[in-house]
Amino acid sequence: MFKKILFATSGSPASDDAARVAFDLAGRYQAALELLHVTGVPTRAYSQVVKDVRTGEEVSVDENYLSCIGDELKSYYERQLAGCAAACTVSIVTGYPHREILRQARSSGADLIIMGASTKGEEGKFYRRGMAGSTLQRVAKAARCPVLSVHRPHASYWGGIGSIVFATDFSKPAESAFAFASKVAQELDAELHLFHTLDIEKGGMGRDMDQDEIEARLIEARKRMYATYGARMPEGFKKWQVEVWEGTPYVEIVKFARERLADLIVLAHHASDPDLEAARIGSTMEQVILRANCPVVSVNHPDKI
Amino acid sequence: MPEGKYCFRRPLQTEEDILHLLSDTRGTNYYKEMEELEVDTEALKKRLDATCKSRLRTWLDICARCGLCADSCFLYRVNDRNPEQVPSYKVQTTLGEIVRKNGNVDTKFMLHAMEVCWSRCTCCSRCAQYCPHGIDMGQMISYTRGLLYSQGFVPWELKIGSGMHRVYRAQMDVTEEDWVETCEWMAEENEEEYPGLTIPVDVENADIMYTCNAREPKHYPEDVAEAAILFHIAGENWTVPSSGWEQTALCMFAGDWEACKMQVQNVYDAIERLKPKRVVGTECGHAHRASVIEGPYWCGRPDGKPPAPYIHYVEWVAEALRTGKLKIDPAKRIKEPVTLQDSCNYVRNYGLSEITREIISYIVEPGYFVEMAPNKDYNYCCGGGGGFNGVGRYRAQRNKALKTKRDQILATGCKLVIAPCHNCWDAIRDLEEEFEIGIRWTFLKPLLLKMVVIPEHLRPAEEEE
Repeated sequence: MFKKILFATSGSPASDDAARVAFDLAGRYQAALELLHVTGVPTRAYSQVVKDVRTGEEVSVDENYLSCIGDELKSYYERQLAGCAAACTVSIVTGYPHREILRQARSSGADLIIMGASTKGEEGKFYRRGMAGSTLQRVAKAARCPVLSVHRPHASYWGGIGSIVFATDFSKPAESAFAFASKVAQELDAELHLFHTLDIEKGGMGRDMDQDEIEARLIEARKRMYATYGARMPEGFKKWQVEVWEGTPYVEIVKFARERLADLIVLAHHASDPDLEAARIGSTMEQVILRANCPVVSVNHPDKI
Repeated sequence: MPEGKYCFRRPLQTEEDILHLLSDTRGTNYYKEMEELEVDTEALKKRLDATCKSRLRTWLDICARCGLCADSCFLYRVNDRNPEQVPSYKVQTTLGEIVRKNGNVDTKFMLHAMEVCWSRCTCCSRCAQYCPHGIDMGQMISYTRGLLYSQGFVPWELKIGSGMHRVYRAQMDVTEEDWVETCEWMAEENEEEYPGLTIPVDVENADIMYTCNAREPKHYPEDVAEAAILFHIAGENWTVPSSGWEQTALCMFAGDWEACKMQVQNVYDAIERLKPKRVVGTECGHAHRASVIEGPYWCGRPDGKPPAPYIHYVEWVAEALRTGKLKIDPAKRIKEPVTLQDSCNYVRNYGLSEITREIISYIVEPGYFVEMAPNKDYNYCCGGGGGFNGVGRYRAQRNKALKTKRDQILATGCKLVIAPCHNCWDAIRDLEEEFEIGIRWTFLKPLLLKMVVIPEHLRPAEEEE
């Protein structure tokens, strides 16, 4: 299912839940696993000094520093690395985290990126304001392969996948997300729950929709789900169903996933808003990741499915 | 000891040279060896004879030490008006001494001169506006840096930076392959949102050839992408050269004139090879100075001009907005107090102050733009110019120097600063980090992208909602 997994890690407890999934996945599918840690953000014009992402200290980049960080990372994951059946490599680089993750994924041709959802303030805040949006958002928007994130400890179980929720907003990127979700569901013989939320905030264009209108729209959306995705199901795959609820998308997706005992949520990161900073608070993807009880995969491009 | 393992007079010529010096973390051994580095007085004397001509000698002579330049200098003001920070004093005690002694100076003197030239002057030339004789002390310090560089007395990072230009024709280890690959990558990353977006490499006879700063491809290629998207929206017929794309010159800060010539000649060769109607450079001040203002002289061009008209990014933006190639959605203009940083190198030293105000008039809602005081040609240096941002040895002095800009920004009451210059952008970021005054700072490109109207035919196919 996956051949090359790139695990972008902070090398700290913030990435523990993601690490669990990364090692588990790599072992389970015999995929090559590359650990990538972006250790410092360039602070001045000439790049040999960086701000260490963990201490905020200015550090000179040299072999010594990079190998020290590399050793720390290896000892942090010593148990997992020793127990991992797959080939694992460790790379330490400097630069802006989102850019270096994307650069690495592009050069190694990774078919899955795994990252922790938030370093909860561990990340240096100083380069944030010069760059809109979080590392995760920027990676999810631009990556050519699916991006999986894990935010809560009980979301970090990648066992037998029995139930997958695919949440759609009918956007173009959602087509890639569907292709991925249906492929995984078929390969793992899991149930696939196709889900759409009728956004009552946005849908009413600033007015309250009355109940008849909501219900009419729900019916319409269900029809659209069958029309859009039914015909595209993998050959012979029968374990799928459609559901549409009304509400605020991220809340409904998390509730629905809980109800269907989902082991995985797949969605597209809607990147139509050019201002990631503004999209940050309301980003459905980010909110789902923060709240979900299972790993969340964002897929925006068809390249690596 | 004549020359050391790390500290020597000759420039860095190869990748091994650079890696060797980089391996000396923070230049610890480099500076230690420098204390023993002997001055080749004969060579210094020869260099003076060959390069220190009538203008500089006249300036040194007619300087009356009147001190009218004192208050013009932000470093003098920020350092409690220490007389040793008066521009004329700084020049007379360094270059003046070398000339008076005809190169017969010792190691101790050179170490002191290095400290003056790289930590007490950013070559912003604000002082030249106040000198009754019109003496440009920024120029003189810059010249003195060249003398110091030729003897091996130069901050570690700038020795390396110069070496980078010599080896890679870029201030960082970005090769031509890296550059072209980055262009492809950025086009690919944005083609869905902007169908038809390309970054054309090596197209001859284009209307525009674009050059940038190596930090962009190296660390935030988003900047390259933004430039491409804006050209695309404006409908420009443009290209980038595969070689000669790097416009900056850290060697100019280092006083390595030979590398300056090599670097800018590389850009001019690209212009001659691709024959564009004009060249547009990125939002960078010193790059503009190196490639447009001083470059032609380094290369000995008889007309004192680059091979094709070479404009700064702000000139292109103003023109695109003026002619309607880029249209701003009035609803999206900036509606918060916003101020603008005037970069010394293309405002004071090239006269583009009105052009940037014209841009402001299109992108800021009337009533929200607040000028710094002083501003335009009289603006203070950000505190990071002339290589100051990059030198670890003088970090404390640099951080102190940032206070001037900090106080100017605080006085405007603005939380947003537009800084269309890499060094200014960096210095302002650093001052926020250092003093935490709660500001945001930005180049023009991302601001424009939030506001421009994308023509119907360039939008992605409509999705059903």
